[in-house]
Amino acid sequence: MTVFKAFLKVLNKSKAPIIMYTVFLIIFAGFNIETSDNPTQFTAEKPSIYIVSRENPKGINRNLIDYMKRNCKFVDLEGKNLEDAIFYRDVSYIIFIPEDFGKELLNHKMPKITVKSTKDYNASLSELILNRYLETAYAYSKVATTEEELVEYMNDTLNKKSEVEILSNLDTSHLNKATFYYNFLNYALLAGFIYVICLILSSFNEEKIKRRTIVSSMNYKKFNQKLLLSNGLFALVLWLFYILLSMIIVGRVMFTTHGLFYILNTAIFSCCVLSIAFLLANVIKNKNTVNGIVNVIALGCSFLCGAFVPMEMLPKSVLLIAHILPSYWYIKTNELLKTTERFNIDSIMPIIINMGVVILFTIGFVIMTNIITKRNQKIN
Amino acid sequence: MENVIEIKDLTKKYKSLKAIDDLSFSVKKGEILGLLGPNGSGKSTTINCILSLLNFQNGSIKIFGKEMRPDAYDIKKSLGVVFQDVAVFDELTVYENIDYFCGLYIEDKTTREKYIEESLRLVGLKEFQKFYPKQLSGGLLRRLNIACGVSHKPKLIFLDEPTVAVDPQSRNNILDGIKTLRDQGATIVYTTHYMEEVELLCDRVIILDKGRILASGTCDELKSLAHIEEKVTVEGISLKKEALEKIEKLKNIEQVLYGNDTLVITYKKGKNNLVDFIEYLKEKKISYNKIYSERPTLNDVFLELTGKELRD
Repeated sequence: MTVFKAFLKVLNKSKAPIIMYTVFLIIFAGFNIETSDNPTQFTAEKPSIYIVSRENPKGINRNLIDYMKRNCKFVDLEGKNLEDAIFYRDVSYIIFIPEDFGKELLNHKMPKITVKSTKDYNASLSELILNRYLETAYAYSKVATTEEELVEYMNDTLNKKSEVEILSNLDTSHLNKATFYYNFLNYALLAGFIYVICLILSSFNEEKIKRRTIVSSMNYKKFNQKLLLSNGLFALVLWLFYILLSMIIVGRVMFTTHGLFYILNTAIFSCCVLSIAFLLANVIKNKNTVNGIVNVIALGCSFLCGAFVPMEMLPKSVLLIAHILPSYWYIKTNELLKTTERFNIDSIMPIIINMGVVILFTIGFVIMTNIITKRNQKIN
Repeated sequence: MENVIEIKDLTKKYKSLKAIDDLSFSVKKGEILGLLGPNGSGKSTTINCILSLLNFQNGSIKIFGKEMRPDAYDIKKSLGVVFQDVAVFDELTVYENIDYFCGLYIEDKTTREKYIEESLRLVGLKEFQKFYPKQLSGGLLRRLNIACGVSHKPKLIFLDEPTVAVDPQSRNNILDGIKTLRDQGATIVYTTHYMEEVELLCDRVIILDKGRILASGTCDELKSLAHIEEKVTVEGISLKKEALEKIEKLKNIEQVLYGNDTLVITYKKGKNNLVDFIEYLKEKKISYNKIYSERPTLNDVFLELTGKELRD
């Protein structure tokens, strides 16, 4: 109890960084979740166009105008300067239908249509719609003998609609939120655990205090066990706190199988971070260097492994290097969970492999810590 | 009287350097043994070997009649150690620090609370019990360091230079505390290079140099080893060469040093040397400002034995 009490008192003095990293997590995760696009809800948007054609268009001319009006937003620029309208982006695309548009088509020629565009995304979309019409019309012009026949063919084809049914039940909106939160948790866990545990253990392992402990009547092995247990308890409480926080921030997805896997993945990763913290605490001799080392490790791992920037946006060379870091496998699992539709042996296997790699990292760090601890404890 | 510590033929080497060379001594129950020697003489190494903090190549160490080992927790229960460096937690208050280190020995909370109160009073830190170490002066920190080492009421206490860089008030407090511990029945091994402290505290002294015992005994026994008996110093005296030669020929004189109007005469033996010399100066009508006599110190003994000062 003496060791645990002292641990809590030293921990109390180091609580500021834990609060700071948690605030970071809440601010960034909360902000991202609130501002992120919702990929399951779409609002159909039409590009704005204006069409210049001969007066009282008929036949295929009329058909083109009607088609474009159906698929785009028609802006009336009658009497206005068209150059200004494009410059001020009142409209994205202006189509000039030539007088001989129908005649050219019936002569099996692709009519030359002049356009003015803002050359942006909306203009490209308008061009795509126009080209689809022209190519279809050109194809039918080879079989149609009159303009009326061509219009008929065009209407038959262009009015056809296909039914699309989305079979996926994935709650992608909440899964994206959960993935962002748990990816960012990589930073909070690394920074929080390593900073606090290194500071506490460097206090207990300070050479002069360690000597006093060794000469005391408390079994030094038992003392170390108590200290490790205290650290483990602290890690467990902090982990639980972050899980509860995810339930509040992310919401219902945390109570599904996906949520269970996110929690399991974080539990395994937390053990790994704990082992890294113990290793570093045995290596770091100066308390003043803890802050710098924590920043290098936590920020380095988070940037290299895609905690802040999505993995798909990182260069392949960076991701290749990231393979040697446990954070990579942790974040990769989170990303896999985001797209996992059903949990069966095939879909779980890559997740289990990733978790296994993190466990192997943990075992490696524990072995290294033991070797260093034994070397440090050797009496000369 | 029974021996609390028995050390036989202790040898500790760092590669080819012998830090302790065939050291043998014992400490009796209830005594304060002073380990005196300059820096690097082997005092701290000896204590670290006794406490099993260091391995040694040869010899045996017995405490309370049992062989001392790193896992001899039954022996360690009765040991108290105050190291040279202040070893406390910056994150804990004075009270919490003492409570923690006392807790490494005593589990019972009530007993611990009583002991903490006693140790706070022993070192005079009662009014500072809620202070953090960073708020304490160097002297108060040293007192806290002592309280952390002795709060569990050990039977055998090792004090490794506890008064280094301490103000006179704190030093007096620490020395009084050590006397109190001795009066309460503790056996104390006290290492220092301050001979005044040894003379004030220690029942027996071992003078160490280069890991070997140069001499041991009570302070008076050690002083008797010195060839000199008395040192007379005269300040503000003006002497000519002839007068100085006459003084050198006076009886019992070992050495005469003169410079900066100060005369230092070392006597081999004899009684009433100071009175005789005052009479001589009066007779020769030699004037002076101040005259005083000193008995040989442990530093003089050390100087004679090694040819160097204790604080070299």
